[in-house]
Amino acid sequence: MDLVFSVITFTCITLLGVMGVFVVTGLTGLFSFGQASFMAIGAYVAGVLGIKYHMPFPLAIAAAVLCGLTAGLLVGLPTIKLRRDYISLVTFGFGEAIIAILNNSVSFTGGAMGLSGIPKYTSLWLVVLSAALCIYIVANFKYSKFGRQCLALRSDELAARSMGIDADRVKLTAFLLAAAITSYAGVMYGYYTTYVEPGMFDWGVSAEWIIIVFFGGINSLTGAVVAALTLASLPEILRFASEWRIVIYCVIVLIILNFRPTGIFGEYELFAKHGRTKTSKGA
Amino acid sequence: MSVQQLINGISLGSVYALIAVGFALIFNVLKFSNFSHGGVMTATAYIGYLAAIGLKNHITSTPLLIITVIAAALAGGFVAVIVERTAFRRLRVNKSPVIYYFVSSITMGMLLENLVTIFASSNFYSYPFALGSQIYQIGDFTFAASDFYMLVISIIALTALMWVLYKTRIGVAVRALSFDVNTSTLMGVDANFVIMATFFASGVFGGISGVFLGINYTLYPQLGKLIVKGFIASVIGGLGNITGAVAGAVLLGLTEVLLIGLVGSGLTPVFIFVIMLVFLLVRPQGIAGRIVQEKA
Repeated sequence: MDLVFSVITFTCITLLGVMGVFVVTGLTGLFSFGQASFMAIGAYVAGVLGIKYHMPFPLAIAAAVLCGLTAGLLVGLPTIKLRRDYISLVTFGFGEAIIAILNNSVSFTGGAMGLSGIPKYTSLWLVVLSAALCIYIVANFKYSKFGRQCLALRSDELAARSMGIDADRVKLTAFLLAAAITSYAGVMYGYYTTYVEPGMFDWGVSAEWIIIVFFGGINSLTGAVVAALTLASLPEILRFASEWRIVIYCVIVLIILNFRPTGIFGEYELFAKHGRTKTSKGA
Repeated sequence: MSVQQLINGISLGSVYALIAVGFALIFNVLKFSNFSHGGVMTATAYIGYLAAIGLKNHITSTPLLIITVIAAALAGGFVAVIVERTAFRRLRVNKSPVIYYFVSSITMGMLLENLVTIFASSNFYSYPFALGSQIYQIGDFTFAASDFYMLVISIIALTALMWVLYKTRIGVAVRALSFDVNTSTLMGVDANFVIMATFFASGVFGGISGVFLGINYTLYPQLGKLIVKGFIASVIGGLGNITGAVAGAVLLGLTEVLLIGLVGSGLTPVFIFVIMLVFLLVRPQGIAGRIVQEKA
């Protein structure tokens, strides 16, 4: 039963990360290769506060999310105006920089040896509840004014701007929301595994989340959730095929991109509000 | 900055230049950042290793190095063509948005990297050239033999590319295509063939840079990650601009060597990130100065 619980917990944490990517990539069309580094920020900030200063859990969460937001603002503010390719490059560089900092501030973070002894506060119910709440928030975001503006931006930025949408502000909002969600996921992760090391948060993790979002279909929140649940839990169950896991993912995603570019779920939503909202293929 | 650092920086930069050019070639034509190039580099570095192992009883040192580089370059060309066929051809036919090219290239890169991991394990290998101890001395300055070969072969490869791009029919076609796909297709350019040729050329550069990276850092499946150096270099140089990419790469190599001397290799990525951010804010169009418009 422990195994099942841990699979569910890890799946829900991945789901939180995927939600962050869904807001940034799925809704807004920006590629963040440094999304996992927000997770690192969350895990490390909360972890260090918990170990060294015995800060209570809720306060540590708040501090970690705040730090994630600040980092998001620092990276987002200058880059959001740039070309989309550059945003992926800058976020990538940001991820590398965070890992380098974590590796080099040995006295605080334990360096490459990792940070161990984080108290284990994350419980199954907390994670499941957080994931559900997060899905609810993202779903509402998608249908809010901001979400619709994001979709407009992604499809055609020039047209969206000429309709009077403040593109930079909308992009920054989406970016910050994702940063907050992902750093929260990081706190959950750190307080569950009780041990974190910089290598866990490299760009491969961010790329995997992006792949999951595309697997489900970038226009469908339902798709992203289902893809996250299946793709994140399957490998835990099918441990024996772990070597081939990524290869199989990649082949599937290539097939999807080639033959069903809207992803498995297309634009389908389980609980579509106000009828079906039509969105185009994306920018 | 001492002259010795200058030499090291330029030879590091010449390897980055090869990566950046392979990257910029594809950006030039298809206008997306091709992350599968990293996978191509890794795969061909291993193919080059296989060739070197197979031949090491017959020839040694310099000829072996040259044959390995040629084998890897050819293999790179073919791998890149296969990548184009499987990952990008249909997207082009479907006229998919740029995002899909991007995701497709990331996925392809991860696929190649993981295939290499499965077939070659994640152990470290090193090429059997035994160049490590060889050095050349010019005055007070020393060249590692491998650095010297890197510089020479990079210069030869880049010159050859420039010649092809500016003096041959196919080069004209590539440049025309990078300017406007539709018009040049109407003028009778076979877009499929030219794009395939571009991928082949990019793969050749990927193969050469893969072998050099393997010499520098030993062979391991995550070698393709160094694609990001090429990406940074081509952004500094101006995306899609080939001479700009070379200039950006040399600049990046020099900066890195200087930073490693000043702050140590651990914190270098942090400073590179900050420099890159400042550069993008001050001069987003890159050194070469031609900004690539996002499709409106």
